[in-house]
Amino acid sequence: MLDVQGLSKSFFGAVAVDNVTFRVESGEILGFLGPNGAGKTTTMRMITGFLPPSAGRVFLDGVDIHEKPIAAKKHLGYLPETLALYPEMRVQEYVKFRAQLCGVPSREIPDRCHEAIEKCFVDDVAKKPIGTLSKGYRQRVGLAGALVHRPKVLILDEPTVGLDPRQIVKVRELIRNLKKDHTILLSTHILPEVELVCDRVVIIDRGRLVASGSPENLRQQMSQAPGLTAVVKGEVTEADTVLREIPGVLRAARIGAGGETRILLDCEKGHDIREAVFREAVTRNWTLLELTPRQASLEDVFVRLVTQVNDEDRQKTLPDAEEVPEEADGAKES
Amino acid sequence: MKPFFAIVRREFLSYFFSPLAYVVLTASLVMNGILFSGLLQALNSPETPRSMFWSLYFTNVFFWIFIMAQSMIIAMRLLAEERKSGSIEALLTAPVSEAVVVAGKFTGGWFFLLFLWLPTILYPVLLSRFGAVDVGPVASGYLGMALVGALFVSAGTFASAITKNQIVAAIVGFVFIICTFFVGVFQSFVNDPEMRDRLSYLNLLEHMDDFSRGIVDTRRLVYTLSMVVFFLFLSTRALEANKGK
Repeated sequence: MLDVQGLSKSFFGAVAVDNVTFRVESGEILGFLGPNGAGKTTTMRMITGFLPPSAGRVFLDGVDIHEKPIAAKKHLGYLPETLALYPEMRVQEYVKFRAQLCGVPSREIPDRCHEAIEKCFVDDVAKKPIGTLSKGYRQRVGLAGALVHRPKVLILDEPTVGLDPRQIVKVRELIRNLKKDHTILLSTHILPEVELVCDRVVIIDRGRLVASGSPENLRQQMSQAPGLTAVVKGEVTEADTVLREIPGVLRAARIGAGGETRILLDCEKGHDIREAVFREAVTRNWTLLELTPRQASLEDVFVRLVTQVNDEDRQKTLPDAEEVPEEADGAKES
Repeated sequence: MKPFFAIVRREFLSYFFSPLAYVVLTASLVMNGILFSGLLQALNSPETPRSMFWSLYFTNVFFWIFIMAQSMIIAMRLLAEERKSGSIEALLTAPVSEAVVVAGKFTGGWFFLLFLWLPTILYPVLLSRFGAVDVGPVASGYLGMALVGALFVSAGTFASAITKNQIVAAIVGFVFIICTFFVGVFQSFVNDPEMRDRLSYLNLLEHMDDFSRGIVDTRRLVYTLSMVVFFLFLSTRALEANKGK
């Protein structure tokens, strides 16, 4: 549905986006992930035809956006990050204006506007001027304006930035609902959002594509050593040495506290040691309270990927990686 | 065509939400009123031919100052405002070309200029109660004013397309407007008769002089309209080049 091929952009010789290629299939939500300044917005602007690319092509439903911009943009709904709407217009008027702008036939305009306004839960403010609305409402008004012409592809640039937690939940729910009718490309730097909303993820850093796949896939690929946490009742001092003997275990560490012994195990890839741990516990007559596989979160993956890239060319620029966990934490709090 | 009209409508209506528009509207009415009554008093003698009033109304120096200032203020926000706020991004990612956006915005601004002059229609109506008014020169005078206004607003639109700052757009726009005005006025400083003749085509003073006397010369129409298209073309190119910056 959306096909991005070898997209590059440089500003005055500085490369902002470097040969980015990906596809978004019909009915899919693709998360477009990257730290601040990674080139997300620039890429999205090139996809929407707002910026001409230095190289590469973008096909929206098979139409090249830079060759036939008008035809291609008919399939496109775009919610820019800046979210500048016309403050003097009423919500209804704005959505109607967008419908006219996007060539919706006059007969259908009232119905379409109604539909878009309802879909985005802004019917209660439909008669208010946009300038008087809170940011969460404005975000949804922008979205209503972007999808009033029923575009096949929706491009959302950080749709939840600056919203309060309740609004974030509402907007995410809205995006998930939109999946039925639209193919969605969603940019964000909030990681939990990706896991909650997206079917597939593309990670970009310094303008380069560093990974793509489903969130689970990425996690599995990137988790270096899968881990396991076992909790045994009572103080079992020999637990770590015993479990270290199980084939496939790389490391074992023991933490004893509050009448429990917690053993953290790192194992080799591809070894499932859960059964072995259980049998060991039975033969030693331990009471096994808990056995949890420890998976790398997408956050780990992201930080690792971004740090790797940064390590490769650290001499060139300041490390951005430190910035990333901070943001991720912020997202978790909210 | 529908996107074009949608943009024209939005642009025209948006003026009524800005305080600046009301200031301009009020100032224009006050100044036009003073001008009207001043002219009436000056020409209030039986010997003055009636047609004299309208030719003076559309060619006096205040007329030029008004229309230049109005055009400058109307045009300065057309593109600069949207580029500054970023709403141009949503506008240009809709299925419309830059040319339609520029043309729509220009037309919206131009309609507002015409709206500013609309109350002055009252003057000929008022005068007609005290004697016959020759409709021809009045109509062609307004036509000339509309054309000159279009030219000035298009020059201002171009200025608005090359900067994000409305104040800069106003100043640069005013320079463009002055240039389009003075390029013809140079006629008076040239000795070469052939050159003088050519420059007269560009002379807006002569242009308004013709119109205010009821002469609708197609050469004048062609000149103004082609200048408008030229400035709108430049604006489109400037917008294409600058939109993402």
